[in-house]
Amino acid sequence: MDAVKTFGKTLVASPERQVEADSDMDIVRRVQGGDVAAFDQLVVKYRGRVYSVVYNLTSNREDAADLTQDAFIKSFQSINRFQGQSSFFTWLYRIAVNSTLTHLRKNRLRTFFSFEKINEDDKVSAEVIAALTDDTGADHETFAHELQEKLNEAMQKLSIPHRTVITLFEIDALSHQEIAEIMNCSVGTVRSRLHYAKQLLQAELQPYIRR
Amino acid sequence: MKESPRKTTVTLEDLLRFKRAEQPPAEFWDQFERGLRTKQLAAIVEPRPWWAPFIRVGTRLSRYQLPVGATAVLAITFLTVREYRTADVVQVYEPAGIEVTSVAPSVIEVRKAANAGSLSAPAVSSAPMVLADAPARPAASAEPRPDQISRTATVVGSVSHVAPVSSELLMATYIAENMAKNKLPELDQMLGSQVRKEPLSNVNMPGESRGSRLLVGAVWQASAGSSNDSALRTNDQATRHLTERRLTESDVISRLDVGGDHLGVKF
Repeated sequence: MDAVKTFGKTLVASPERQVEADSDMDIVRRVQGGDVAAFDQLVVKYRGRVYSVVYNLTSNREDAADLTQDAFIKSFQSINRFQGQSSFFTWLYRIAVNSTLTHLRKNRLRTFFSFEKINEDDKVSAEVIAALTDDTGADHETFAHELQEKLNEAMQKLSIPHRTVITLFEIDALSHQEIAEIMNCSVGTVRSRLHYAKQLLQAELQPYIRR
Repeated sequence: MKESPRKTTVTLEDLLRFKRAEQPPAEFWDQFERGLRTKQLAAIVEPRPWWAPFIRVGTRLSRYQLPVGATAVLAITFLTVREYRTADVVQVYEPAGIEVTSVAPSVIEVRKAANAGSLSAPAVSSAPMVLADAPARPAASAEPRPDQISRTATVVGSVSHVAPVSSELLMATYIAENMAKNKLPELDQMLGSQVRKEPLSNVNMPGESRGSRLLVGAVWQASAGSSNDSALRTNDQATRHLTERRLTESDVISRLDVGGDHLGVKF
């Protein structure tokens, strides 16, 4: 419970997160009071972020959808036991990550990819694609699909702890401390795993890196 | 794909941020909502497994795992040490039990009481009155503690003044006195020294058993006589002749005796 408290504090440290946590807590109290429909607000608010985390861990959109739904159902079933010692998002996030890790361990040998479409309006992805296709003159859309496939393949070659660290740090932009709390390990271990995972990914994605 | 400003370098971090652009379309969320609603209803209808409360209790207790574990280790250690000490106490008196059941219970109990030093001379002389009844008692009750022995002997000593004196009691008294005075080596070996030996060393050779049996018989016959002097004489004689070696040898040649001029068969 102390770890949850610490994790909650780290996540709600910024003022924006504190405001977000307070508003979530109001909704949670309403749900606990019997207003079950209020839970839909929390679903709509967090489904994208939770889905993104799960998808980047599994590289499978169907599995990601199922696991995200399971995370919301588990949180709904257990919401009466939620006492606000951490932010709701922290709590939901931990449920989702733990469910995903359990799923990945159970289906270690069964891996199917099914990718989401790349958002064409995303600025970073457009810059990366433009930089990589300048020399070759390849079609942007085709190259984007190829890069997406290579990225997911490289991610799936990582072990589950390394993949989790990379996903939480590089894609979900969580801090080392937050990742350490989620994965129940030290910050040093997180840094070490991050370093090792980056080395492996760098070797795998060497053809796409321009210096 | 829209045109974007030129970027010359692409790092690993840029490539990983590219994954952030992988997002589901808007219609995906409608399907997601329907699936979630279905699962939510199923979860409400479906009964929770019977072991679900145990998981909750286990989760709550997990914070106390260190004190609970330490207490369990201490309890196990305490029980183990206590059992070990109890076993030690039992082991001390085990050889005495073997003696009682295998040889001569009444004599042995007198001997034990004398060894324990808890009986005075009159008590020793009166103890066989009770000990004559010892074979009728169960084997477990024939292993009293030293304090019980002295208490029994004292009580019986007082009873001995009232109880009628039979010939068997007199014989037992005589045996005890004789043993105390003469220090018969065979009996001493059988009774006294075995107490301090290991249990396995108490297993007698066939010859020794026979010797003990014959010796007791000889003493018994001697005590049945009228005069004390003749009994002592017979006893000395038996002690002198019934050595272990001779008894063993007699075991070998007892049935068949072949000589140069005769052939004897003993039945």
